Amino acid sequence: MATSTPEKPAPAPKTNRIGLSVLDYRGGKTTLCAGCGHNAISERIIDAMYEMGVSPERVIKPSGIGCSSKSPAYFMGRSHSFNAVHGRMPSVATGAVLANRHLIALGVSGDGDTASIGVGQFIHLMRRNLPIIYIIEDNGVYGLTKGQFSATADMGSTLKTGVINDLPPIDTCAMAITLGATFVGRSFSGDKKQLHAMMKAAIAHKGTVMLDVVSPCVTFNDHEGSTKSYKYMKDHEEPLQEVSFVPAFEDIAIDYDPGTTIEVTMHDGSRLRLRKLEEEYDPTKRIQAITRLNEAHEKGEVLTGVFYVNSKTPTFVDLLNMTEEPLATLPESVVRPGREVLEQVMEELR
Amino acid sequence: MKQTFTIAIGGAAGQGVATPGDIFAKIFSRRGLHLNAYNAYQSIIRGGHTFLTIRTGPEKVTNMGDRLDLLIPLNQDAMNRHLGLLTNGAACIFNAETIKPGAAAEGVALCPLPVSKLADITRNKVAQNTLAVGAGLSMMGIGFQAVQEVFTEQFKKKGEAVVSENVGIARAGYDYATANFKPFARPLPMTGNRYAVLSGNTAMAMGGAAAGVKFYCAYPMSPSTGVLHWMAAHARKAGIMVRQVEDEIGVVNMAIGAAHAGVRSMCATSGGGFALMSEGLGMSAMMETPVVVIDCQRAGPSTGVPTKTEQGDLWQMLGAAFGDYPRVLAAPLDIGDCFKIIPEIFNIADRFQCPGLVLCDLLLSEGRLSVDPKDLDFAPVIDRGELITTVTAASGTHDNGGYKRYKITESGISPRAIPGVPGYTHTAATDEHEEDGVLISDEFTNPTKRRAMMEKRMRKVAGIEAVVSPPALVGPRNAEITLIGWGSTKGVIEEACEILSDQGISANQLQIRWLVPLHGEAILDILKDARHTIIVENNYSGQFARYLRSETSYVPNGYIRKYDGEPFMPHHIVEAVKEQLGGTTRLSVPAHEILV
Repeated sequence: MATSTPEKPAPAPKTNRIGLSVLDYRGGKTTLCAGCGHNAISERIIDAMYEMGVSPERVIKPSGIGCSSKSPAYFMGRSHSFNAVHGRMPSVATGAVLANRHLIALGVSGDGDTASIGVGQFIHLMRRNLPIIYIIEDNGVYGLTKGQFSATADMGSTLKTGVINDLPPIDTCAMAITLGATFVGRSFSGDKKQLHAMMKAAIAHKGTVMLDVVSPCVTFNDHEGSTKSYKYMKDHEEPLQEVSFVPAFEDIAIDYDPGTTIEVTMHDGSRLRLRKLEEEYDPTKRIQAITRLNEAHEKGEVLTGVFYVNSKTPTFVDLLNMTEEPLATLPESVVRPGREVLEQVMEELR
Repeated sequence: MKQTFTIAIGGAAGQGVATPGDIFAKIFSRRGLHLNAYNAYQSIIRGGHTFLTIRTGPEKVTNMGDRLDLLIPLNQDAMNRHLGLLTNGAACIFNAETIKPGAAAEGVALCPLPVSKLADITRNKVAQNTLAVGAGLSMMGIGFQAVQEVFTEQFKKKGEAVVSENVGIARAGYDYATANFKPFARPLPMTGNRYAVLSGNTAMAMGGAAAGVKFYCAYPMSPSTGVLHWMAAHARKAGIMVRQVEDEIGVVNMAIGAAHAGVRSMCATSGGGFALMSEGLGMSAMMETPVVVIDCQRAGPSTGVPTKTEQGDLWQMLGAAFGDYPRVLAAPLDIGDCFKIIPEIFNIADRFQCPGLVLCDLLLSEGRLSVDPKDLDFAPVIDRGELITTVTAASGTHDNGGYKRYKITESGISPRAIPGVPGYTHTAATDEHEEDGVLISDEFTNPTKRRAMMEKRMRKVAGIEAVVSPPALVGPRNAEITLIGWGSTKGVIEEACEILSDQGISANQLQIRWLVPLHGEAILDILKDARHTIIVENNYSGQFARYLRSETSYVPNGYIRKYDGEPFMPHHIVEAVKEQLGGTTRLSVPAHEILV
């Protein structure tokens, strides 16, 4: 016999500063393998976007092709999603952001999409300092085609079949810093705390954010001999700093020791706090960042953290002096050149 | 036959062929004359051989014609190559001190200029060019006032001293010719008309501005670069976002990204660049994001002959990107049409949410034509189709109010919302998808849904066909000969028809502008009464003839083809028609007599 209990009103869901609950940032059910690192990254994106109070409708999620590029379907269902062709997301995103500067672009790519087929487009995106968060979900292999090496796989890393990778990896972070990206870091999908803080800082940054997130492929690259496995990462991850983030809208004053912590003020007034684990490292110094990344390769470390931040370089849309009004929604009266311009143009032809 | 006058200037690249060309063109257009200019050149910055032909006259001049009236060779090579082309009544003006004339045909006037006696050649390296221009204009019966005006304008940026020096040299050439050379039999007339002179590339760029293009990107590639140059030079004034991009793959994807965000977006390239764009075009088709891509054809395959013209990309355009999808494909008929076709194709691409392809060629892209400014409509109708750019009363809910980006409709057209509109956000994917955009290639595929979506997209084909007019026959219905061409051959075929008629062979013309949709039924209907049909095209294999046959089973009586990199001249077609009427062959491949 059932006993009835008086119904308690459900507690009001927690909401963020724009009145949305975390559910408003969720997406469809993932179809990736159980334990895939990419799912953890989706979770961090959801949390960070929720906590930062970003309006989901303003977000556009361009992606390429591959397991990683499928993941935008699994977070932020109220945002616009654009699955482009393999490797071309950087170009598509550039076009979209130039046409509508009010869009917040969160691009998701993989190591194959970025470092092989799309490397030309990636390189030129990094040069532009377009306002975009570009995430590489980096597992060193092509998952959807059943586990071939990608160009970020380390030399000597082995496949399950025993095949040994014989070429050196492309370090997408070193490349991004060299080329002009203004916020560059590496994290690990298993490092919840670090990735969470970096993701929030990424949202606060204006310009190109390039985050390479090592994200183990549980099906094809999580075995002994892989350098992108959970175990390898746990043993070899070498964090540069302890990353924490204080958003501008949370007016919290915390004392910190400038000797041990570097504080970077972001464009919107948010503060990125980096408690130094390496005394000499200063993430505003570009050459030092590149040198340190090269050292890490020689030592066989997987360096993580915020490698480079530059809040001074103007973004591509500012550099191009784009109008406030998106080109996409200009009224017909101004969509064509005015009479005076046409008269000048015709004069040139006589 | 109409009265025209043709000047040809030949020399090495870097010798200054362009400036005299500009001066002649300006003077003709100010006299209210029509003109057509074509520059034969090579892929070299200095050296080689450049040959500029400018043909003018009071009536429409649609092509370079058959006859040269005045040759100005700037070096011995140009003299050697071209003197033999001159016939009775023509003249050749040259620097007597550096160039030796060869044997000229009877009635050809050789006009040597004692250059160092007329100008200080130590000060002015191109004095021979300026003297020749002055001399030529005198022989054409043009008053010096007009010459002075145009020279002043041409050099005013370089200051007063340069202007007076050049006007002085032109005057010396002018006076010398007046005193020593026989004027041309018919002085150039004057009319009250005023034309604009523009290239096909300029016309397509301006057509884009008129169509409301807000985003243009490109990778430089001959012969399409002129579009980028116009766009870059006018970006600020015209309010167009113009970017040079890393490669054509980046170009087409960036253009589609911008188009997806809601702007009219365009890019231009040539065959090689277009090949790189083909995957992106498939994306435009699958996401139903309209974009306009221009292919300025040059002689292929591969790098081919980058500075020469051809109509060799038709099958590439017909087959661009894998899979079936609706597309529109148009070939502008002349330089004025290069302007008009852009707003037209944007309206269709926007309305039917599919890629719009423009198949131009070097002949139009880099050629120059006088166009009546009245024919350049800067306020054509803009039809963006079913585009949602703002929240309407009906939407505004956060659950997307049942919005389906790829809604299955009778017309195949679904309402297109741009990113950032609350209530209308969705997934756009290159994967096959459901009505709401969710992928059906991922966890589960679904043959029924795939079929429905494929049919939805392809239903647009019928709609497109209904809004594009079928081609029409021009000329007497029961003519002895019907010449069929497509795109840029319109003018030369037109003139060939006139010449044939003058010679007692009645001819009419069917010129194809829309390649997709082709209107095969209408073409068959037109051709069923034709007595002798010949397809004229600038390629080796008869790409259009093969296409027409594949769509309609129609086989013409003969073919005229040219694939030497140079355009047809009217007499090529006239002689080939006679040859075919004589029954000796069904395929004529005229030889180009001008060695460039």
